[in-house]
Amino acid sequence: MVPDGKNKKACISLVIMVVFLLMSGVFEARAITPNEVMKKSQGAFLYQGKDFKARVMMKLISKGGQERVRELTMLRKNSGEVGGNQKYFIYFYQPADVKDMTFMVYKYQGKDADRWLYVPAINMVRRIAARDKYSSFVGSDFTYEDVSGRNLEDDTHALVKEEKVGGKDCYVVKSTPKVQDVDYSYKLSWIDKTNFLPLKEEYYDRRGELYKLFSADEVKEVKSIPTVTKRTMKNLQSGHRTEVSYSKVDYNIGIEDSLFSERYLKQPPKRWIK
Amino acid sequence: MGSKRFSLVEFSVDHPRLIVALTIIITLVFMTQFPKIKIDTNPKNMLPATSDVRVWNDAVDKNFGLYEDMIVVGMVNEKGILNKESLARVQRITDEILRLKGVAARDVNSFPTITNVTAENGTLNVAPLMTEAPKNDGEIAALRKMLYDNPLFMNRIISKDGKTTAIYVPLEKGSNGKEVADKIREIVKKEKGDEKYYVAGDPVARDTFGAEMFKLMAVFAPIAGMVMLLVRYIMFRDLFLSVTLMMDAMISIVWSMGLLIALGFPVHIMSSMAPVFLMAIATDSIHIFNEFYFRFREKKDKRVAIIETMQAVSRPVRYTALATAAGFAVLLFMNIVPVRVFGGLIAFGTVILRVLSFSFIPAMFTFVNEGKIAKIAQAEDIESSRTSQFLKKLAGLGIHNPKATVLVGLLLFVIASVGISKTVVNNNMVGWFKKNSDIRVADTVMNQSLGGTSLGYVVALSKEEDFIKTPGAMRYIEGLQRHLEKLPVVGKTTSVVDYVKRINRVIHDDDPAYDKVPDTKEMIGQYLFLFSMSAKPSDLDNVVDYPFKKANIWVQLKTWDARAMGKVIEAVSEYQKANPIPMEFKPAGIAYFNLVWNHEVLWDMVKGFVLALIVVLAILALDFRSVKWAIVGYTPLLFTIFLIYGVIGYTGKDFDMPISVLSCLSLGMAVDFAIHFVSRFRQRLAEVKASEGKAPNEAAVADALLWTAARPGKGIMRNAVLFAASFAVMIFAPLTPYITVGAFIVSMMLLSAVMTIIYLPALITLLQKTLLKEA
Repeated sequence: MVPDGKNKKACISLVIMVVFLLMSGVFEARAITPNEVMKKSQGAFLYQGKDFKARVMMKLISKGGQERVRELTMLRKNSGEVGGNQKYFIYFYQPADVKDMTFMVYKYQGKDADRWLYVPAINMVRRIAARDKYSSFVGSDFTYEDVSGRNLEDDTHALVKEEKVGGKDCYVVKSTPKVQDVDYSYKLSWIDKTNFLPLKEEYYDRRGELYKLFSADEVKEVKSIPTVTKRTMKNLQSGHRTEVSYSKVDYNIGIEDSLFSERYLKQPPKRWIK
Repeated sequence: MGSKRFSLVEFSVDHPRLIVALTIIITLVFMTQFPKIKIDTNPKNMLPATSDVRVWNDAVDKNFGLYEDMIVVGMVNEKGILNKESLARVQRITDEILRLKGVAARDVNSFPTITNVTAENGTLNVAPLMTEAPKNDGEIAALRKMLYDNPLFMNRIISKDGKTTAIYVPLEKGSNGKEVADKIREIVKKEKGDEKYYVAGDPVARDTFGAEMFKLMAVFAPIAGMVMLLVRYIMFRDLFLSVTLMMDAMISIVWSMGLLIALGFPVHIMSSMAPVFLMAIATDSIHIFNEFYFRFREKKDKRVAIIETMQAVSRPVRYTALATAAGFAVLLFMNIVPVRVFGGLIAFGTVILRVLSFSFIPAMFTFVNEGKIAKIAQAEDIESSRTSQFLKKLAGLGIHNPKATVLVGLLLFVIASVGISKTVVNNNMVGWFKKNSDIRVADTVMNQSLGGTSLGYVVALSKEEDFIKTPGAMRYIEGLQRHLEKLPVVGKTTSVVDYVKRINRVIHDDDPAYDKVPDTKEMIGQYLFLFSMSAKPSDLDNVVDYPFKKANIWVQLKTWDARAMGKVIEAVSEYQKANPIPMEFKPAGIAYFNLVWNHEVLWDMVKGFVLALIVVLAILALDFRSVKWAIVGYTPLLFTIFLIYGVIGYTGKDFDMPISVLSCLSLGMAVDFAIHFVSRFRQRLAEVKASEGKAPNEAAVADALLWTAARPGKGIMRNAVLFAASFAVMIFAPLTPYITVGAFIVSMMLLSAVMTIIYLPALITLLQKTLLKEA
């Protein structure tokens, strides 16, 4: 009796569970909320793994075709869940005259990040204040917010349509800032339905004109984590664009918290920056 | 050739309806082209986009991410701009400007958008100066400190006395400065407060001028036409004939403008003046009317009078047309395309006018009521007409005191020459507006309190990458800036050095000892990198190129005088000579463009004018079949030009674009009078000789001169007065070039007419032995 009853109960609960799961699956596929899409996207794009490392090559290209290069190693460590605090450590290789320069960012949820810069020519570490929402990341077309993510609560998100980008099914989400604290009046994101990576983003200025265009140009799996390894941000008004490519990407390599300190800024450990 | 022309006149008189119908049909055909009109109001386009200066300026703009055009919006509060209300207004206005179409929003510089570098408690802060308007006195004090501590802001976005601020509004390529300026004026109008607003900058002046010019042409040409009609009516007392004379001008205008449009040329500011010029040239047909009335009175037969009139005036009318057409056709060989188009347009129009003189006008004469003309013609008697008597007296001055007349003339000539040597070639588009006009006032106010609304660049070019980052190059540029700032026309200079010095100081906790160029290239490189990490990309892009081979020094000028940039260029080469360095320095920017524009367009006109003078002399020699007569006939023209330019030289008025255009008109008109006078005088003399059977003596020559002054001279005077009267209207125009044009034409016409009537008789009397022997 008892085992029977147990079995029966188990059977019933299993059936209920399966039905529920199926239902919820259908439910979810049909009615995923735009906020969920954006949350998942942020997780897939900016918070993958416990930590992350890449050699980053940035090409800043002017309308006239002039190029500036930024080559750096970027280390990132998450301290909690998606949208939570993060720490970044950046070591510059290029341009040549800033070799050995290092840069550290503590990113917080809901307030401007703290940044420190080590200037080798004067052997000094300086704190730098900047505004994440507007400031360009090392002179590129990406803002700090583009690099490290914007607080999802600052925008209202709406699912406007579904569309294919490069043969992949995407959600198209319109994000409108609740307070006009950024240069754009709204942004459209094309989010891959399978891996939630943003494949395309369009930024519209206050006049309602498209002025900035993001595209993920190459996606690769690293340790089975889909990663955008090539991306471009183009300013359509100034004609300036930034092309970024990641190499030597790795996840979950056990970066210690102690790395993110003023001491290591001056003398970055070789094994991390290589 | 003469008999062929003659037959055209006879044909026209015999088939007047056909000729008139044909003329109207051709006119209608040309009119069909009018809807296709393309208008180009931008004086900049006088130089083609492929001209060296525009190509170079475009390259500099591209290299440094600059804008061709910038509007400067000034805001003045006599009690000081640093208060809650004014600052909130600055923010609101800037915010609205950022939303305007045609504005390069990302690079608008104003309190809320300009990058500031400060140090606070060991933290380096790179951020816009004023992210939010201050809410209390503490915040205002902090803002004041930041403003006055940063030399990059001084005289740029804040005046020393704190009463004036400016918003710099760069325009996207191809947007219209006047339209953006109008929208900005609407924005500031909404603000209620003590502040005064000024909208200045080259694009505003340029586009406003272009637009106003077309408007004025549309208003002025008809007014001038109406005045001409009225004056003609007073002269000839016949509405039909006055209208005929008017139609003559209108038809040639329609044909030439129609052809211009049909050929696909845009109507430039220069060709927009063509109607007025053609109207002026058309007045030459007044000689036909003048003679017709005299002949009709003598012959009492309309057909005979018409044909005889045309016989008498055909030679001078043909040659004045030839001289005018050739004078303008010379412009076809100039470099500047719109100058060429203008020359071709007027030359074509002139030829059309003459064809009409021999066909349409005689045809129209046949429709006039004979009885009416007979009555009016009674007045056309050189013995009783007061005008003729006055002209006789005038000519008598020259005939009876030839030596004194010539001497006085020579003296005036010498005085005028001294004046001409004082001529200043310059152009100032803002100066084309009246002193109390919005644009002029805005410019004056802004130039008094801030660094200057006219912007030029000095580009430093080195051969090595990263050369600009060396302390040597930095110190050199700094030295050059200080040298340029010594010029009174330079209000402020800005370069990459200013940013480097600023960061050097700020990174060392705002220690003034570090307000200098750092000692090593590494420091400079790293400071600049640090700055580029958080500033707007344009902040650095505007002053250095990507490989750091070139640097761009911004030079704000306090005047739009084309000469000002010339002085900057001189100062640069002076500094370079004294301090050699492996760098080249080249001027650029709108101020440089204006300098080149001034030089190229003006000198092209001057060159064309001188060439035209030579061609006209050659045509005179051809017409009179004598070089001596040509030189005599040339003197009134030369004299008029010398006197007018002498006066311009003495008054210190710049020899600018409008004046150079006018020179061409003067040669088209002043020479006409001499041609009429000399031709008719020689005809008269030949008639006397034929009737008396012997060479005329001195008394006969004097008689013939008096007759010429009284009869064709009346035509000359009528022509001059008609002309002067209609152009005098221009003196009331709101743009100074029109006032100049009006005053210039009035004085030119009256002067050259008087010169012809007094001076030619004097010269002919004096030189009659040589002149008449040959003839």
